[in-house]
Amino acid sequence: MSQRSASICNTIWAIKAIGVERKFARRRPHDTAFRALTHLFNGHNDSNAFFALKDINFKVAKGEKVAIVGDNGAGKTTLLKVVAGLYRPTAGEIRTTGEMILLRGAEIGMVDELSAAENLFLYSSIYGVDREKVKVNFQEIFEWAELEAFTGARLATLSSGMRARLAFSALRHFDAEIFLLDEAFSTVDMHFQRKYEKFFEEQKSSDKTFLIATHDMDFARTFCTKTLWLNKGRQMAFDATDEVLKDYMASNT
Amino acid sequence: MLKLVFIAMSKKKYLNLLHQLAITQFKLKDQSAFLGFVWSFLNPLIMLVILFAMFRYRTGQSIEHYGIYLLIGLVQYTHFSNSTRRSMTVLYSMKQLTADAIFPKEVLVLSAVMADAIEFVFSMVVCVVIALVSGIALSWALLLLPFVWVLQFFLVSSVSLILSCLYVFARDLGHIYQAFLRLLIFITPIFYDSSFLGKGLGNYILFLNPLTHLINFSRTLIIDRNPLPLRSSMALLLMTAILLFCSFKLFKSYEPTFSEHL
Repeated sequence: MSQRSASICNTIWAIKAIGVERKFARRRPHDTAFRALTHLFNGHNDSNAFFALKDINFKVAKGEKVAIVGDNGAGKTTLLKVVAGLYRPTAGEIRTTGEMILLRGAEIGMVDELSAAENLFLYSSIYGVDREKVKVNFQEIFEWAELEAFTGARLATLSSGMRARLAFSALRHFDAEIFLLDEAFSTVDMHFQRKYEKFFEEQKSSDKTFLIATHDMDFARTFCTKTLWLNKGRQMAFDATDEVLKDYMASNT
Repeated sequence: MLKLVFIAMSKKKYLNLLHQLAITQFKLKDQSAFLGFVWSFLNPLIMLVILFAMFRYRTGQSIEHYGIYLLIGLVQYTHFSNSTRRSMTVLYSMKQLTADAIFPKEVLVLSAVMADAIEFVFSMVVCVVIALVSGIALSWALLLLPFVWVLQFFLVSSVSLILSCLYVFARDLGHIYQAFLRLLIFITPIFYDSSFLGKGLGNYILFLNPLTHLINFSRTLIIDRNPLPLRSSMALLLMTAILLFCSFKLFKSYEPTFSEHL
């Protein structure tokens, strides 16, 4: 234990969550100006709020790969969005050091009406990669995705697997330090599954930090050193992947 | 120092994104840039024909070059109304980006404004060309026209930032704003001269409407071929800059809650 804490002292923390809590009001659909005004003057009615996250505490060191597991509705996505700064925690604190990107699904930021090439530029710019860098890697990105023949094609004509490939191929050139992935790439064939695995294998030794919400236990086991288990917004465990997964699997039988 | 470098670098990243998004929205608006421009010019042109036929011998009687006078007013009003209307919904129509991507969301709104600004500048240039063809002489005053565009850009950006932010919380704002725009066409001196409303309340409303001044500035430059009055143009620049700053602050204060409301 003492050895471990000594090593922790020298660690640079990429993500620190201290007592993070996130409440949501159960909102009705259809926001209207009238309702917005009454909210403004009467304050929000907190009585029907529920906790999406409560008392979450964990630290991720720079370069560490962490999986988030849990059943649907456990709060995985909410946690990623809180870390990303898209949701403010209602209590507690999130601290992050380094450029972050959040990938929820491969196609966020892609536009059907544009060509695959145009989409590559747009998509990369959303995740902070400038035009020049995309130009330099343009050929390589399409080759890796095996979509050289489709650069000029409208994105709408590409299958969802092909789009995921393009997105993933672009992702390899994103230079953020913290990657928050939400079940991002699951719609691909076996052949590309290999390519993905190879990419993650290479990332294992990089100093990029990954926080990945996943249902793929094999992936978590091979790629992530630590795992955070959430259940109904509560933190069940945060420890070495094998141990956490053992408990998580046991709880599901 | 290091922090400054970092800020400059991250700004460059967002400039790249702004550029990329503006191009995208420009392309998305119409399948071809040229045809898109023709269509967007068609609307003020139809209005021009109708208003010209109706008011030429009424409110337009004492106005020189009434056709050009109308055209300038219509082009500037149309740009203002179209651009603010489109930008208002951009956070919602691109809600995946608003809710799930990490970047300052004013970039989305400003890119929508910029996509329309390109068209606006083209339209104004066409106005000038038509003015020249119809016999108004070329003058140095035209060189000041970009100043008016900057003011218009500031104004449209401010209104768009406020509206897009509110639209996240109140979806029926679209209808309310549509009604306001209908009203605006009558409280802006498009087909009548500012003096038409007399000295009463109407005059004050016109005076408080920034679009009045912007349109009159363009008319001064294009039709009257006079330079802009220095004091009022500086005052307007200051006012639109302050408005832009305030709307930006408002937008930033609500930005952290966008994701949960979409």
